[in-house]
Amino acid sequence: MGLILEVKNLTKKFGGLTAVNDVNFEIERGEMLGLIGPNGAGKTTLFHVISGFEKPTSGTVFFDGVNITGKKPFQIVNMGMARTFQLVKSFHYLSLLDNVSVACLSPRGKEAFGASGIDEAASSILTSVGLVDKARLPPVILPHGDLRKLQIGKALGTNPEMLLLDEPFSGLVHEEKEGIAKLIRRLKDEGVTIFVTGHVLRELMTLVPRVIAMHHGRLIAEGSPQEVANNKVVLEAYLGRGEGFA
Amino acid sequence: MIEEILIYGTVQGALLALLALGFSLVYGVGGILNLSHGAFFLITAYVIYWTIPFVGFGIAAVIGLAAVVGIGAVTYLGLMKPLQESHIGIVLVTFALAFFFEQFVKFVGDPKTHYIVPFVPGTITFLGITFPAQFIALLVGAFILVTLVTLFINKSTIGKSIRAVSQDFEAAKLVGINTDMVLMTTVMISALLVGFAAVLYAPGNFIAPRIGWRYLLLAFSVTIFGGMGSIPGSIVGAFIMGYATSFTDFLIGPEFSVIIPIVVILVMLLVRPQGLLGKKELR
Amino acid sequence: MMDLQFDFQSYVGRFRVWALTFRGSITLLSLVGLLFVPLSGNEYLTTVLVTAMIYTIFAASWDLLAGFAGQVSFGHAAFFGISGYFTAAFVKFAGAPWIFALIVGAGYAVLFSLIIGIPCLRLRGPYLALGTLAFSLILWNLFLSGTWLGGTEGISGLPSIGDIFGVFYIIAAFMVASLIIMRAIVDSRLGTILKAIRDDETCADASGINTTVYKLIAFMISGFFAGIAGALFVLHTTAVNPAVFQTLYSFYAIIMAAIGGLATIYGSVIGGFLFTVLSEFLRPLANASLLIFAIILIVIIRFAEHGIMNPFLERLQDLWDLIRRK
Repeated sequence: MGLILEVKNLTKKFGGLTAVNDVNFEIERGEMLGLIGPNGAGKTTLFHVISGFEKPTSGTVFFDGVNITGKKPFQIVNMGMARTFQLVKSFHYLSLLDNVSVACLSPRGKEAFGASGIDEAASSILTSVGLVDKARLPPVILPHGDLRKLQIGKALGTNPEMLLLDEPFSGLVHEEKEGIAKLIRRLKDEGVTIFVTGHVLRELMTLVPRVIAMHHGRLIAEGSPQEVANNKVVLEAYLGRGEGFA
Repeated sequence: MIEEILIYGTVQGALLALLALGFSLVYGVGGILNLSHGAFFLITAYVIYWTIPFVGFGIAAVIGLAAVVGIGAVTYLGLMKPLQESHIGIVLVTFALAFFFEQFVKFVGDPKTHYIVPFVPGTITFLGITFPAQFIALLVGAFILVTLVTLFINKSTIGKSIRAVSQDFEAAKLVGINTDMVLMTTVMISALLVGFAAVLYAPGNFIAPRIGWRYLLLAFSVTIFGGMGSIPGSIVGAFIMGYATSFTDFLIGPEFSVIIPIVVILVMLLVRPQGLLGKKELR
Repeated sequence: MMDLQFDFQSYVGRFRVWALTFRGSITLLSLVGLLFVPLSGNEYLTTVLVTAMIYTIFAASWDLLAGFAGQVSFGHAAFFGISGYFTAAFVKFAGAPWIFALIVGAGYAVLFSLIIGIPCLRLRGPYLALGTLAFSLILWNLFLSGTWLGGTEGISGLPSIGDIFGVFYIIAAFMVASLIIMRAIVDSRLGTILKAIRDDETCADASGINTTVYKLIAFMISGFFAGIAGALFVLHTTAVNPAVFQTLYSFYAIIMAAIGGLATIYGSVIGGFLFTVLSEFLRPLANASLLIFAIILIVIIRFAEHGIMNPFLERLQDLWDLIRRK
């Protein structure tokens, strides 16, 4: 299968604050990897650096064997790595259909769907995330859970090989979480590599077979969800901060 | 020659500091680009010019300052506050206001250029250089005022609120600060500063309806140079630009020094938009 | 880049549908009304409307960049002026026919939109506005103090391109064509991408869009149409001088687009005509005219959030729907 993502000695400092500290890990193609850590652990910053929204202070990122360190976000997206944001981003004055179409209009999207098949592709993506009945409406009418789905739909418009999902479960009620989880599992079955974060381990427990844990910018544990849940260092990181995690 | 350059440069720096400080403050605290800033200078100068014949300079200055501070308050309440959601709205409306003041002054007075007599008459000779005595007034006045305002912002309770709002508008609201009051006070302080610039600099100089734009450009330029929202930045930037302008004036020619502000804006925007001492993220 | 399939039948059909809508019929009626104006023989009115049409193109060009692509420029007079100057130069010194000079002028405007756009693109929000403003100020000072292309006097004595009534129709043709093209761009895939960049540039980035390239394209298209406006302006007034670079003109474009309604094409028409007619209306008041104009501007900007005519137009729309239902 091969490695789709290799992160080597990745460090990101903001002035005196080291948000990501010498992080090393790999993801196999087709895998599902979870990333947990309490708030402020550096998960989102790690995502930003990997996806090109921040430049690392040092270290490298390899995607599909290619060094993508320091590349611009849109370049990385067109190589096959798409992401969603913790605070949902969308095009407020465009319809849901157009929201997804824009992604389909990226070079990678046009290559996958054809310049004349954009509307069709966007439509079927909306169907696959269950939002096609609201295709002509703007994102403002969507409840939070649907906005998360829209984001995933937008990411799918770029025909990604790998999806970075930043806290897709936070702020959702149980049914919504189930919906997202189902969607993610289906994407995995279709061959998309999934890298997903959360700060509540329970959500990821039944979803992913492998988890890495971050705290204060460092990777502190790696293993199956059960292993990580029982890891002393991890427990201290969470309980020591007074946060429940299971 | 060098002494001349230094003296004129210091004076220019003092003027620029008074102009830029208020402008930078209003932007730093409220995110407001007040394009009527130059018009505040204009109206103060004209009010002084119109009332001098009746009450003499001292009272005229007080009237002028009171007028511009009042105008600042009204501008905030009537134009800035209602449009605070739309940044471009504030920019447009303050631009229209500046346009209004230019026409107002033309209408109530006349479109011609006028001269205001300096309130410190005569000249002084120092280190072999002769210059208008008015300069001393400007330097002393600027120094006192800038010091007062800086102290006020750093030491007083209101000053603390101002600093809080400039750091995080929402957070300030959450801790119960009346951000509205803070913004209005900031605009009024800004008007006071630029009003003082007019009080100290317009006498001994020419005024005309169109001068507001020039002073706006200067305030802009120094603010961008020093850093939007940074008080030390504005002061340092003001003096650097003051000396640079003075150098260019004497060594090359005044035709070139007029474009300095514009070039500074361009270069700064391209090279270092946050200015010399500004905060890294831009609003 | 985009497939340009020209399906005539469907265009005719869509046109017919549009013509029967409220917007469509008002537009068509206004257009017809406009075309009748020169026939009245009223020179004054014709001249005023010529100015209005030129300003409309100018305002629309700004709105395309700001309202649709989200890049707010405070120096649009730069493109207006550059085109004006090169158009005048080509007519006067190279003896070129006006249509050719106009194309050249607009071409130079596009060139300058790149020269100004490329450095300004990395700036966001107010900084982009200031950057474009600074460039236009530099151009203004350059042409004011320079000795080339006529210096402070500018270039004058251009051959007229016809009597005012003929000119009216020429400019009307340019206006209609420009607006149709801009409408087509805005409704196209390119337009969708520009609107996405406007709505959330980071998100567009994350959707695989090379925002820098698209912003430059927006700059160029906007510069082109501002250039058309500038060229027509100079051809109409048969002269050009540094005043054409004034910041005031840049702000006029913004105000016109704003009062008509941002991110609409028809808004520029409303704003352009309203603005021009208003300033003409106030002219007889001599000294007070500009003062009153300034006051009106303040009031409009203060209260006209989504375009001053919108509430009024909405009522008309309801009325229309009512009639059509009967």
